[in-house]
Amino acid sequence: MTDSKYFTTTKKGEIFELKAELNSDKKEKKKEAVKKVIASMTVGKDVSALFPDVVNCMQTDNLELKKLVYLYLMNYAKSQPDMAIMAVNTFVKDCEDPNPLIRALAVRTMGCIRVDKITEYLCEPLRKCLKDEDPYVRKTAAVCVAKLHDINAQLVEDQGFLDTLKDLISDSNPMVVANAVAALSEIAESHPSSNLLDLNPQSINKLLTALNECTEWGQIFILDCLANYTPKDDREAQSICERVTPRLSHANSAVVLSAVKVLMKFMEMLSKDLDYYGTLLKKLAPPLVTLLSAEPELQYVALRNINLIVQKRPEILKHEMKVFFVKYNDPIYVKLEKLDIMIRLASQANIAQVLAELKEYATEVDVDFVRKAVRAIGRCAIKVEQSAERCVSTLLDLIQTKVNYVVQEAIVVIKDIFRKYPNKYESVIATLCENLDSLDEPEARAAMIWIVGEYAERIDNADELLESFLEGFHDESTQVQLQLLTGIVKLFLKKPTETQELVQQVLSLATQDSDNPDLRDRGYIYWRLLSTDPVAAKEVVLAEKPLISEETDLIEPTLLDELICYIGTLASVYHKPPSAFVEGGRGVVHKSLPPRTASSESAESPETAPAGAPPGEQPDVIPAQGDLLGDLLNLDLGPPVSGPPLTTSSVQMGAVDLLGGGLDSLIGGTNFVAPPTAAVPASLGAPIGSGLSDLFDLTSGVGTLSGSYVAPKAVWLPAMKAKGLEISGTFTRQVGSISMDLQLTNKALQVMTDFAIQFNRNSFGLAPAAPLQVHAPLSPNQTVEISLPLSTVGSVMKMEPLNNLQVAVKNNIDVFYFSTLYPLHILFVEDGKMDRQMFLATWKDIPNENEAQFQIRDCPLNAEAVSSKLQSSNIFTVAKRNVEGQDMLYQSLKLTNGIWVLAELRIQPGNPSCTLSLKCRAPEVSQHVYQAYETILKN
Amino acid sequence: MISQFFILSSKGDPLIYKDFRGDSGGRDVAELFYRKLTGLPGDESPVVMVTTGGRRHHDGRHFIHIRHSSLYLVVTTSENVSPFSLLELLSRLATLLGDYCGSLGEGTISRNVALVYELLDEVLDYGYVQTTSTEMLRNFIQTEAVVSKPFSLFDLSSVGLFGAETQQSKVAPSSAASRPVLSSRSDQSQKNEVFLDVVERLSVLIASNGSLLKVDVQGEIRLKSFLPSGSEMRIGLTEEFCVGKSELRGYGPGIRVDEVSFHSSVNLDEFESHRILRLQPPQGELTVMRYQLSDDLPSPLPFRLFPSVQWDRGSGRTTLEPKPRPVSLNVRLHLPLPRGVVSLSQELSSPEQKAELAEGALRWDLPRVQGGSQLSGLFQMDVPGPPGPPSHGLSTSAPPLGLGPASLSFELPRHTCSGLQVRFLRLAFRPCGNANPHKWVRHLSHSDAYVIRI
Repeated sequence: MTDSKYFTTTKKGEIFELKAELNSDKKEKKKEAVKKVIASMTVGKDVSALFPDVVNCMQTDNLELKKLVYLYLMNYAKSQPDMAIMAVNTFVKDCEDPNPLIRALAVRTMGCIRVDKITEYLCEPLRKCLKDEDPYVRKTAAVCVAKLHDINAQLVEDQGFLDTLKDLISDSNPMVVANAVAALSEIAESHPSSNLLDLNPQSINKLLTALNECTEWGQIFILDCLANYTPKDDREAQSICERVTPRLSHANSAVVLSAVKVLMKFMEMLSKDLDYYGTLLKKLAPPLVTLLSAEPELQYVALRNINLIVQKRPEILKHEMKVFFVKYNDPIYVKLEKLDIMIRLASQANIAQVLAELKEYATEVDVDFVRKAVRAIGRCAIKVEQSAERCVSTLLDLIQTKVNYVVQEAIVVIKDIFRKYPNKYESVIATLCENLDSLDEPEARAAMIWIVGEYAERIDNADELLESFLEGFHDESTQVQLQLLTGIVKLFLKKPTETQELVQQVLSLATQDSDNPDLRDRGYIYWRLLSTDPVAAKEVVLAEKPLISEETDLIEPTLLDELICYIGTLASVYHKPPSAFVEGGRGVVHKSLPPRTASSESAESPETAPAGAPPGEQPDVIPAQGDLLGDLLNLDLGPPVSGPPLTTSSVQMGAVDLLGGGLDSLIGGTNFVAPPTAAVPASLGAPIGSGLSDLFDLTSGVGTLSGSYVAPKAVWLPAMKAKGLEISGTFTRQVGSISMDLQLTNKALQVMTDFAIQFNRNSFGLAPAAPLQVHAPLSPNQTVEISLPLSTVGSVMKMEPLNNLQVAVKNNIDVFYFSTLYPLHILFVEDGKMDRQMFLATWKDIPNENEAQFQIRDCPLNAEAVSSKLQSSNIFTVAKRNVEGQDMLYQSLKLTNGIWVLAELRIQPGNPSCTLSLKCRAPEVSQHVYQAYETILKN
Repeated sequence: MISQFFILSSKGDPLIYKDFRGDSGGRDVAELFYRKLTGLPGDESPVVMVTTGGRRHHDGRHFIHIRHSSLYLVVTTSENVSPFSLLELLSRLATLLGDYCGSLGEGTISRNVALVYELLDEVLDYGYVQTTSTEMLRNFIQTEAVVSKPFSLFDLSSVGLFGAETQQSKVAPSSAASRPVLSSRSDQSQKNEVFLDVVERLSVLIASNGSLLKVDVQGEIRLKSFLPSGSEMRIGLTEEFCVGKSELRGYGPGIRVDEVSFHSSVNLDEFESHRILRLQPPQGELTVMRYQLSDDLPSPLPFRLFPSVQWDRGSGRTTLEPKPRPVSLNVRLHLPLPRGVVSLSQELSSPEQKAELAEGALRWDLPRVQGGSQLSGLFQMDVPGPPGPPSHGLSTSAPPLGLGPASLSFELPRHTCSGLQVRFLRLAFRPCGNANPHKWVRHLSHSDAYVIRI
């Protein structure tokens, strides 16, 4: 008897027959009947009417039958919730069955029945199963927690299942560990703030141990989880890398790629001078090459990933060019991807080889591929300057083949070569002109017209050539029309005497006979320019153009860094961040690479690593700069709001709330799984200090006498991260008003306009008091200084660290996010002097555990100088005493939000360090007040 | 995390449909997948597809599929998961289903629906992969496979390679190797058999001047065992087998590969000293070892082809002289011709051979070629010149675009290009009262892309 007959067409009484069979006494018959039901279910027949009958078969000691019934239940419980309850008793009973297979089966199936009512019955059995003696049951229960969480998150939290799940990470069975990690990772993703996967060196160690023992699939969960961890220093990073490296030789490509992801991410923290860094680079190449021998499907996915890796670290695969040579029988999507990688790896060393290959490809039969190959030759010319000449001659050879699409493609890329190397290869123009008639694609025609216009002075019959195009002006595509208009205007400016008529003609065609607004407008602009000031027209139209570079087809660096964190996932195949294609709240936490700890090199010059910081000076990293700021996405940057901007934010957010949970849950996410870190860019190449205060040491500050101390401007948002906008700034407080002094520099090639700024909620309610006023558009290479007045009446939310300020800046290009730490003394108000009695009373009143003591070293000032210096920053000396040769200064200050801080400063003459004791009802500010003291006293 | 898994027949009918997370829009997703796949433009990758537009709840659903024995195995997900693990999983599932149902095909799947569901339930829980090891799953699976016909175990002549996906799939699937691994539970009298195959894929690129541009060999040792699980076996490889560029073994040039990876169950204690792999394989199929070498082939190329082209003003003669070293089977020579070839005449080394013209290319099939023999084929063709005046005297003697490159496909039985051989296969297993287990060790090379530019 076979199942295939179950597929026979429905007869009228089929359901009835099945019903009878299900109620039969014979086990075999029952089993066959349930199988038939399942087969019908698969082909889409509705057999839900049999629900009660199938459920009746559930109470059996035959495991096979039980499994079949459970299978049916999973499918139909949702449409028959009331009936499903009937089954609950059996489920609960089965959870206590002596056979672990049945216990696991019951708990697994219950979790799959997505009916709210069943969840309350599930809790007790689940709790037992999580502590079951059999690992098979425990691992099933671990996944069941994730299932239950998806149905009712609150219930899972209330029942304490999350803690049990966390305990399972230390389970003795690696399968259980793997499933617990998977379940926790999933739950954590929907609660970025929950700090569920509290990764610390101890738990990492446990995971690394489990990694060696569990199945390949478990290894993937664990490696993916490891990738979210940020090691505390490069030594830890290296030791994790060492333990992950053996996974590179695993037979399962998913394990390999997950390991590559961890290594690529942690490598970021290793100094390039380390021997180990070089070893690691060498180890990464072979597994990547091996992936290319898999089936085309895997190859394609691997190539998409390699494309990212090659852009981030070209040195890994620089010697492996040959493996990317296209095979004759590769599917086209693999061929195109290989071609792209070949160009990215092309260098002076291998260019001859690459060009020879590309030339071969250009003679193949597949039209799409041939076009891409020709284009690739052009890209080579632009990328490797030494090869440009050979590329051009190769292209000329190809033009000689007279194959239409090859010629057209070649002309398009030669135009780009002209733009990269002006005045070098113009000798080929004659050859190009010969093929004028065969061009029928708009892109090629436009490219040819551009060339003729650009080099009109060297082409004797340029006017004739362009005139020939003009005849069918209205039939051309817009691209060609626009190019023709510009080309002829260029020609006119170069040879004004002979071409007056031609230019008249094209201008009138463009302005009077065309209804395309772009064309008309461009026509009018040229017309007016030419008629008012031909000299200016010449300057505008024939202006020197910036050279193009091969960088244009690279992925933008910030996106690339994010994608590197997603190696081996769909994001790396699409080359888009997950937020662009994953719906809902899950998985939208922005990831970024950890900063390199030891040196301050920039990402643009990976080859020229400067010497790292001196040994022994292992700088700490300021946590949570910049990269948390993905979270700011929710800020509404529409019209700049003055006054308290975020009180209405929950309303505004509605429209742009990508994250479902809203801002609150996200900002709590300062501690999400692995706080990604980015150092304050140390523009002076100095090692990154242990806190903001160190930054101030970089240059001696030019403090103003009339206001409190002002730190020199530091770069807050490097141009690299913000599509060319660089922002540096500092904070000042002058006569009672706080302002943020910004310096905006446009390092892009494009004019920037429409600036706006907004702050996230912060500890002291700092908010812009006026919109960001940038009066004129910011043209390339221009810098503008702006002082933005701040108020302290914005909404308040405690930040970590306390003085963290997350800022979003918008311009016409995009929205950018950065965070900065503001010095606390900008918040010290002018009326911060406390009455003596009051001071004494308050000092006594504040409990002693709120007292914090700090040492201020290297401060050789006497009491007088200290006092006056601090006073200018609104720290007021209430009283002064001399006890046993020591000067005691009693001081008070008040923050904008009304918090008083009392200080006792002990200065020993002749001893450069002094002792600061702070007492405050909000002790968490003490640390920052101390930093303010340091800053003020040392500058 | 996987949302759904389904198996579609080659015509797009769902054979198996399983929803793991309840977050999907239902079973018409399968239909959507098939529509999308068949309507895909040529240069777009079918590997990963995403749905956009259309009905709301299908948006952002990613499909990943493989095609196996004319079935589509598809998973969908709506999250940013690893496509590698999904592709790996699908190919493992294909092996697993083959192990349990005998072979993978429309018939076997629809006969064993309940078994397939049971398997899926153990392999995937809530979309998380639990295990794909045949051995581990044995403990959980209750349903027996339904098989269509009794096995012709005695028909040993048809024992072919079970694992080698050769280009033409001409190697008849062995009926001995395509029975379910696990049916032995009920039938203890089954033969104890082990199949061990060394299969190499060869890709070669030869420039028009005859120089070797690229050669690489990808090999694997595959094992299919019907012995009881856990019975130990030792596989001895050629002793001169070296890994990496620098290692030296033996006195001769040795047999060198660049990279080796082993299945996790392989014990390598004796590998360093004696090149012996020790393992206790589970029942079913597994890849014991994978290796590859490139650029540096120890032996001369197994197949040479001496092309020569003479071309003069639109007509030309192309001579091809294939010359294999070892015995080759199923040789096919493929030569794309320029567009618009008007006449073609051929002259082959023996009269019974015939080259055919199909899809703008020449195809010359040779079922069996003796080692060391030399064949020749002379093809004469005319291509009308491009309309208009002949262009500048340059390209008339050059062959027109679209001729070549020639590609060869072939199989070389009992031959490995790397030179790797299995010295011995020893089994520790001694069946009680039963005949000694049968061991089948086979070597085979076949071409992957063997291209000669003209």
